[in-house]
Amino acid sequence: MSVVRRAAPRTAQPTTWSRAAANNRHPLPWEGGGGEGTALSPRTLLLAHHGTPGAEQAAALALSLAVPGHTRIVHLYVVPDLWDGMQGDDWLNNAWTRDAFGRHVEGQLESDAREQMRGVAERCAAQGIECTQQLRYGKPADCLLAAARECDAELVVIGPPRPKGTLGLRSRMDLDRLARGLAVPFMVATAR
Amino acid sequence: MIYTHRSPALLIIGIVMLAWGWLNQSGAADGLQAWLHPGVYKEHKQAVEKHQAAEKAAADKAAAEGQPAAEAKAMKPGKFDALKAGQAQFATIFGGIFCVIGLLVLAMKPKEGHLDYYISIFPGMAFILSIAFVVRWGLDPMFANWGKAALPTLGWDFAKILNLNYVVLGIVIGMIVVNVFRIPGWAANGVRTARFFLKTGVVLLGTLYSAAELAQLGALSVVMIGVFVLGSVWLVLLAGPRMGASNSMTGVLSSGVGVCGVSAAVAASPVVNAKAVDIAFTLGTILLWGVLCMFIFPTIGHLLGMGPVQFGAWAGTGILNSAQVAGAALAFDPHGIQTLKVAEIFNITRVLFLPIIVVWLAAWYVKREAGAQKINLSQVLVAKFPVFVLGFLGLFILSTMGVFAPAGHYQGKYFSSTEIKEDKLLKEKDIAALQAALPKVTAPEDNRALQDLIANKKLATREQDVLLRGVAKMEGLDKGAKDALGNAHKAAWHDSKIIKAYRDWIAWLFAFGLTGLGMQITVASIKQAGGKPLIIGSAVGLIKAIGSLIVVLLFVREFV
Repeated sequence: MSVVRRAAPRTAQPTTWSRAAANNRHPLPWEGGGGEGTALSPRTLLLAHHGTPGAEQAAALALSLAVPGHTRIVHLYVVPDLWDGMQGDDWLNNAWTRDAFGRHVEGQLESDAREQMRGVAERCAAQGIECTQQLRYGKPADCLLAAARECDAELVVIGPPRPKGTLGLRSRMDLDRLARGLAVPFMVATAR
Repeated sequence: MIYTHRSPALLIIGIVMLAWGWLNQSGAADGLQAWLHPGVYKEHKQAVEKHQAAEKAAADKAAAEGQPAAEAKAMKPGKFDALKAGQAQFATIFGGIFCVIGLLVLAMKPKEGHLDYYISIFPGMAFILSIAFVVRWGLDPMFANWGKAALPTLGWDFAKILNLNYVVLGIVIGMIVVNVFRIPGWAANGVRTARFFLKTGVVLLGTLYSAAELAQLGALSVVMIGVFVLGSVWLVLLAGPRMGASNSMTGVLSSGVGVCGVSAAVAASPVVNAKAVDIAFTLGTILLWGVLCMFIFPTIGHLLGMGPVQFGAWAGTGILNSAQVAGAALAFDPHGIQTLKVAEIFNITRVLFLPIIVVWLAAWYVKREAGAQKINLSQVLVAKFPVFVLGFLGLFILSTMGVFAPAGHYQGKYFSSTEIKEDKLLKEKDIAALQAALPKVTAPEDNRALQDLIANKKLATREQDVLLRGVAKMEGLDKGAKDALGNAHKAAWHDSKIIKAYRDWIAWLFAFGLTGLGMQITVASIKQAGGKPLIIGSAVGLIKAIGSLIVVLLFVREFV
């Protein structure tokens, strides 16, 4: 497993490889690999994307790495489980009002997800890259680990952490958990 | 879907409760209880010694007179015995119920249906109740003792100032459970019942108001809530667009900040088509403010020497989130529910304003947002009406008809000279103690009330009673004067047994409900506080809190 920090779009050669990459079972680009997937020319690339500027950078990096006809991008959209507590300590409303709120929030989250998923699918289609999509609910790192396992991803691409002070939902990807849990290389697109 | 988890947890909780009941009944827990309640235990020990001395003297006298020793009289149970008996009874009843249902959970093979659903709520209820027991019977007295023990070193009683009583501790432990350990799967369904029990607590509160109290508190709350709710909704609607907030964000924020916090935001979100991120920012802001206010308000209330009516009115108006209104009221006055009574009237008034505000916001949103869906106003008014308020009113009506308490209970009929018995009038030593205390009572109103009490040897009005209860809490007043004031209060107030029991049940229902609600406050949702909702919400929340404090201090008297 390796952690690679790369700028998007891709430069000609990888800039940083961790020592761990040397022990990785995946062949490195310069080792060749023919029709086999490699870390930088994967057959299945898992992209975590949920519409933030960082995720857009991850999408750009993933698209630059993907090879038409060879790579399949699996777009993972995570709805973070912070929504579990979003009815907070409401106790005055009746069940009808709470259900209406639940339906409304679910509808909003679903519509946000569909919009983002449509955008990524269109960009993949424009480059002739196969794209499949997954919508998961839970902790971002757990969802990503599960998705990587299930789709046999050879490379995982995520966006950089949101810069401090930037507005957005606070649901960070646990990079440590990811680094320990993933059996394949993952790239973090650097913030521009 | 099957809701019941075949877990031994409920049975284990039941057995632990039964064991606690038995330990108290058998006296095996006396050492622990004595450590938790040193003051009460000291009184108990003194009473035991006095009783034994009296028995011995009687026996000696009988022996000296050559007569057979009189049969030993049983000692009248004191506070310590009552405390143990209460805990034993409570723990035995609930422990027994949980054991039976716990065995059922293990024995039955759950099938989809009502039975499965209703049984699935018991483990969660037992989970909350066990926390409430530990907090109310263990942590509350423990922190009180530690606060007193640290007083000489710190110079202040941290447990009192930080309001570390069973209500605050229950909410905090609930929050720790959900955020650090997570609610176990077997308890998840039952934890949701916290709302139901809080509403039941409010309904039962209906038994404790007199018609005059309800009319006066109701009028006061309508004026204050009317001004501050409508004012803050209007302020947010004014500030939101000027600060570039979207209409949906402004709409959901105005209801949350203006009316009753999370509940109002939940009710208004669909009608103003709030975006997911607007909801997250708004609810995060309200929860953050609510939790902070629950700690800060009672401390300020104590520092300003506010009484129950003033504090209840302030908390009921100034705290954004309605759950924390109840929490702050009980945190301020944990062993009486006078403050809760006042605060809940304000809460109920806020809830009654909710359908109106939702309709207002719907109209506001439709007017400003092209393509917004119009809503059915009557449907909204009916759907958002808080039905439990009808239960509250129902019990209030039954109560005023004398179903729960003797007629005259609420009117304080024992203020009348014709009702109070001669032996209930203050004794000479009480009068002497009060006369000695008179120069220390400098506030003219209090001084006058004390002079009247000395002259009449009894309380003459409810107002005098409230004023002199404040005087009794004065620092520097000697014990004799405090006891005399306590005797005068007792002579004027006769609570029925049913009302006393209700009061205890209400405190338990709120402790249970608030612990359960604490389990629904996640740090992940509080962390979402941000963006324009945080700025606008904080500004309006602050204005509301300070504005209502000024109004309360200036215009609200300490009696109704």
